[in-house]
Amino acid sequence: MANQEEGGAHLRLNNLGTRIVLFFVALLVLVQGLGAFLVIQANSQIARQTMDQELEQGERVFKQLLVQNQARLEQGAGILSADFAFRQAIATNETGTILSVLRNHGARVGANVMTLASLDNVIRADTLDADRIGKPFAAPDLIRIAAVEGRASSIVIREGKLYQLVVVPVLAPEPIAWVGLAFEVDDAVAKDLHQLTGLEVTFASRVEGPWHLHASTLAPELRLSLESALAGEEGVTANLVEVSGEQYETRVVPLETRPDKRVVAILQKQLQVGLAPFRRISASFFWLTLAGLILLVAGSLIIAGGITRPVHRLAEAARRVQQGDYTRHVDVENRDEIGQLAVSFNHMLDGIVSREKEILRLAYEDGLTGLPNRAMFYEQLEQAARLAKRGGHSVSVMLLDMDRFKAINDTLGHTVGDQALREVGARVRKALRESDVVARLGGDEFAVLLATGGADAPKVVAEKIHKALEDPLVIDGQSMDMAASIGIARFGEHGEEADALLRAADVAMYEAKRTKSRYAIYDPAHDERRQEFLTLLGELRRAVDAGELVLHYQPKMSLVEDRVTSVEALVRWRHPERGLVGPSDFIPFAEQTGYISAITRWVLARAIEQCGVWERTGLRIRMCVNISARDLRLEDELVHAISVDLQAAELPAGMLCLEITESALMEDPRVAQVTLRKLRELGIATSIDDYGTGYSSLAYIKQLAVNELKIDRAFVAGMEADQRNAAIVRSTIELGHNLGLTVVAEGVETDHELAELRRYGCDAAQGYLFARPMPAAALERWLSGARDKPPGARADILGEV
Amino acid sequence: MSRLAAALVVLSTTFLGAAFAATLEVDVRDPAGKPVADTAVFATPASGGTEARPGKVVEIQQIDREFVPYLSVIQTGTTATFPNRDPILHHVYSFSPAKSFEIKLYTGRSPSAVTFDKPGVVTLGCNIHDWMIGYVLVVSTPHFAKTDASGTVQLRDLPAGTYEVQAWHPRLREPLAPVNVSVDAAAVRSVGFTVDALPRKAKYKPPLDRLKY
Repeated sequence: MANQEEGGAHLRLNNLGTRIVLFFVALLVLVQGLGAFLVIQANSQIARQTMDQELEQGERVFKQLLVQNQARLEQGAGILSADFAFRQAIATNETGTILSVLRNHGARVGANVMTLASLDNVIRADTLDADRIGKPFAAPDLIRIAAVEGRASSIVIREGKLYQLVVVPVLAPEPIAWVGLAFEVDDAVAKDLHQLTGLEVTFASRVEGPWHLHASTLAPELRLSLESALAGEEGVTANLVEVSGEQYETRVVPLETRPDKRVVAILQKQLQVGLAPFRRISASFFWLTLAGLILLVAGSLIIAGGITRPVHRLAEAARRVQQGDYTRHVDVENRDEIGQLAVSFNHMLDGIVSREKEILRLAYEDGLTGLPNRAMFYEQLEQAARLAKRGGHSVSVMLLDMDRFKAINDTLGHTVGDQALREVGARVRKALRESDVVARLGGDEFAVLLATGGADAPKVVAEKIHKALEDPLVIDGQSMDMAASIGIARFGEHGEEADALLRAADVAMYEAKRTKSRYAIYDPAHDERRQEFLTLLGELRRAVDAGELVLHYQPKMSLVEDRVTSVEALVRWRHPERGLVGPSDFIPFAEQTGYISAITRWVLARAIEQCGVWERTGLRIRMCVNISARDLRLEDELVHAISVDLQAAELPAGMLCLEITESALMEDPRVAQVTLRKLRELGIATSIDDYGTGYSSLAYIKQLAVNELKIDRAFVAGMEADQRNAAIVRSTIELGHNLGLTVVAEGVETDHELAELRRYGCDAAQGYLFARPMPAAALERWLSGARDKPPGARADILGEV
Repeated sequence: MSRLAAALVVLSTTFLGAAFAATLEVDVRDPAGKPVADTAVFATPASGGTEARPGKVVEIQQIDREFVPYLSVIQTGTTATFPNRDPILHHVYSFSPAKSFEIKLYTGRSPSAVTFDKPGVVTLGCNIHDWMIGYVLVVSTPHFAKTDASGTVQLRDLPAGTYEVQAWHPRLREPLAPVNVSVDAAAVRSVGFTVDALPRKAKYKPPLDRLKY
């Protein structure tokens, strides 16, 4: 198809070669045509002029010839008449002798008719017609002239023939007689004149009736035609006469112009003949043009071919490139422009090849780690899945998500984060076999494709990965722990398509994260759980409006004053079907979806209102409310809402304390810093919750405008069992005090813990040892009952919750 | 015999006439009244013409390619010789009915003489010099003369009697009518003629070259 098009292209008008040829041909035709036009015009003009000149010259020559001819005939006649023997014979007066001498001597000078007349104009002898003897001489006027001039001549018509009649006297030595010599003007004469003038010569006369042709150089049929052309009184007047369809330039020379007798010589030149030299020039011009045209077409074709052939080759090469074939270079034949184009084209080809490689690399390679990217991983997974479907060997997909990576990125910067990802990628890659595929899917998410190994292989590999990440990463001199949550999905078991496997691994990975386990293998139950949460989330949206959320309050015991100085407000969801749902079952998801803001707003409003109520009843207890990382981001909104709520409850700001987890502070330290400062400016106290789980540096804490540290319950719970935890608790308390902060211990459950905390100088404690979180009314009762009781003897009250 | 008798008559007449001689004066003028030369005047007796005595000879020379004299008047029976005085040849001829002859190329003395035995005009020509022309007027009377530049001529010794007087010029336009005149002895009669003649045509004559003709 493509070849047919190519073949057709040679004939098309927009083909370059054709256009070049057409251009040159048109140019030549134009120039030659113009030249031909000018040449032909000039030629015809010159031809006409030349013909006119020729005719004029011919006419002059003709007239001169006539004069000369006449003179010659007259001289001949004179000589003849002076011949002694002739005169002697004439003098004999014998008719026979006279006739004989007339014939004889007439033949000498070529006279056709000889007539002898006496001095009194009576014919004595006539070589043509004996009957004329005794009759008067037909041209007495000639005799009169001859008597004076010695000779006379005229054109006469006799019996239909045209003669030059010369009359001379016979001198002895006085005139004794007149002799007339008539020379016929016949075709031979015309032919002689024609040879000398180069013109067609015709003699014609008109005595009475039509014109009559006497002699001519024209062919017989042309004579008839000319005769008919000579119609009319005047004969020929035009310069151009058509004879038998041929144009003749014509001149008429009058020889005899008497009214009753007109004799003319018609001189003609055939236009065709006159124009012949110029026609030859035109013909030469035509053939020259034709030859030039042929040469030009051939030359143009060669040149055009020289241009278009390489161009075609280039076009073909371009088509190959279009079809994705970059392998073949264009042959470079010449060093001309097209050759240079071909060289450039080849360079371009090389460029395209290398760029395509680069694009391919970029498309399938993760730029940061140099590992395959998501697209590549997906393709390989699809391929492995196809192979697995046929071959039946096991394929597993593992998804890795770095724990707390965001905190690293935010606190240490993206450069460090990127280096950390590179290091993680390198370690994971190194930990696995060559045949396993390790890819970075994006962010802090990695994926591993195990195309070999048994059902347990993923577990083994997951352990290997964990082991590889066990050693802290050291980047720019900073060391950091890095752990990954790994989700595992197995081909066949958890899905047969790449999408399904990836989704399953994703679900498993979230499960691992949720359960804070090293890895999780996909379980359809995960999906159900997830589904459950999704439903829960849907319900959660209504929960606030429907008034399904309730606040429980857990007292904080001041160890200095040994009394409850504040309570922590904790949200509960009184689900219409499930009953009371704990915060850990819906708060993380509320955080993920962003719905947490609405919950926080509700909690704040409710808690402040409650605090106000208590304040007015004389129960002066500081209210502590948990704030999520997301709430911090909405700084202005948050600060505004709080101040509005405080005003509504007529509560001083100092009665409110906001608790923010250390990890939330680390998510966006800059925003946290600003928000905290604004809150403190309002007079609101702030507390770092779950202190010790994050990676905040002391320098960072110092900068934050906080009032309180809450030691994570994990450290407090581990104090008895692990001395190290006790040391952490103790040093944290000391640290907090050094920074001017109060320190609160969470999750205090035993008397031992309490005793130790007292020993370390901890400012306050919170936990089941004192009281579980409880509704406001229960708390009021608990407070009234617990005032005098020592800590640890409140099981009854705790039991109420 | 008759010729002899006639001769005797002439002789006697002349002889007798001499005793009673008369003179006829003839004046020839052109229409303008100017005298005309080269006009022949002759008087023929009414009794009839006479022939000259035999042996009478005149010369008509050729000098510088001309006949000299241009006009000769002679009586019938007179013989003329044509001596050639030129260093070149001449071919004298005449086709005149009065006397037709030719003397082929010659020089010096005329190889033959020509006797003019009939009255009339004899026109002389030279076959090799077309312009040469001469006239011989042959008359049948001894009384003749030729005018010179004065145009006047006298015919002397005319015996008394009646004469037909005629004048002739080579280039007369019209022939002149004769005049009859009777003369007595010792008387002088005058006769006038008006001659209307063409001027003598000056034909082209090539210049004489001593080496070439």
